[in-house]
Amino acid sequence: MNSKEDNSKDKKGINRRKFLSLIGNSATGLVAVGAIGVTLDYLSPNVIKEKPAKFKVGPIQNIMNDTVIYEPEYSVFVIRDENGAFYAISSICTHLGCNVKWVGSQEITESEVAINCPCHGSKFNKKGSVIEGPAPKGLVRFRVKLSNDKILVDTSEIVSEEEMYLKV
Amino acid sequence: MKKLFIKISNSKAWKSIFRTKLPIKTNLDRSLFIFNSLTMHIHPAKVREIAIKFRYTFYLGMISFFLFVILVVTGVLLMLYYQPAIPNAYENMKDLQYVVTNGMFLRNLHRWSAHLMVISVFLHMIRVFYSGAYKPPREFNWVVGVVLLILTLLLSYTGYLLPYDQLSYWAVTVGANLIQYVPLIGLKIKYLLLGGNTIAEYTLVRFYVLHCVIIPLAMVFLIAFHFWRIRKDGGLH
Repeated sequence: MNSKEDNSKDKKGINRRKFLSLIGNSATGLVAVGAIGVTLDYLSPNVIKEKPAKFKVGPIQNIMNDTVIYEPEYSVFVIRDENGAFYAISSICTHLGCNVKWVGSQEITESEVAINCPCHGSKFNKKGSVIEGPAPKGLVRFRVKLSNDKILVDTSEIVSEEEMYLKV
Repeated sequence: MKKLFIKISNSKAWKSIFRTKLPIKTNLDRSLFIFNSLTMHIHPAKVREIAIKFRYTFYLGMISFFLFVILVVTGVLLMLYYQPAIPNAYENMKDLQYVVTNGMFLRNLHRWSAHLMVISVFLHMIRVFYSGAYKPPREFNWVVGVVLLILTLLLSYTGYLLPYDQLSYWAVTVGANLIQYVPLIGLKIKYLLLGGNTIAEYTLVRFYVLHCVIIPLAMVFLIAFHFWRIRKDGGLH
């Protein structure tokens, strides 16, 4: 038996031993890769209890010009500026995700600091643009729409500074 | 009394547990004691006198290991009063401080040992570096040591969330946002680590399991390997 196998080893191609070990190793490998894939999928939750992307503020006739409304559950500032236009900016710092604080008074200009980050000292103006680092970019601006007499903020839609305003 | 001890050590039950014949008389007996013991086996049978001098190693590795043992023991005891859930976690932590008998003592022991372990592991690394003990043939044990340092820091980081106070929450927020900057897979790693996009129930459970099971288990194996490698790489000279 042994001598037969030894002879067949010298021959080119595949013998029974090589074939079976190939099948065995491939099956083991396949199962191992599959197990890793299944585990990685398992680690990523499908249902997470997070807040819905949209929320409403208002009614608008109750909100005066030069007002800041902070929504802590959504981490969003909803602002009505001196011209009566609405906009919404995120309160999550673009540096490392801390909650920023509105510190400015209502009648400040764009060049003055309106928002401070307590963690690493970033400063922003009332439009959310960076005045002082380490934040690499301005606070995220969200799309605001009018829904009946309320302001609808959609945190899934990020807009530029020019298109963030809603004039009513 | 001595006769009784000899009688016990010659009994069948004793001999089935301990292979080494007592009393230990010769150097061979002493080395057999090391060889036949699972826990002593990672140590060499013989060490040079200089290797056990305080000013040579400052015992920093041993101190680190001893702190790890304290952390495991106090950590297991703390687990008995802690639930990794919101809002239980914070309440349990406060209960440990003000309601549970000796809870404050155990929590502080765990906390201070954790701080000291980071310091002692770091000092151990500096000692190994300045005495050139990372050089061949010990270069792989240096790598194992670096992994152990990283695991120590990860234990500190994951343990930091568990009290679930403001300090924990924002420290882990900052840490998770740092991970986000990893190229390509950063966001995915953050999602898997937090079990979501923000710190919530899943994050607490994940950090708890990492802190109490996965990282300590990995460390136990690596520490055993680290000690065994000291012997295999020629011990201390």
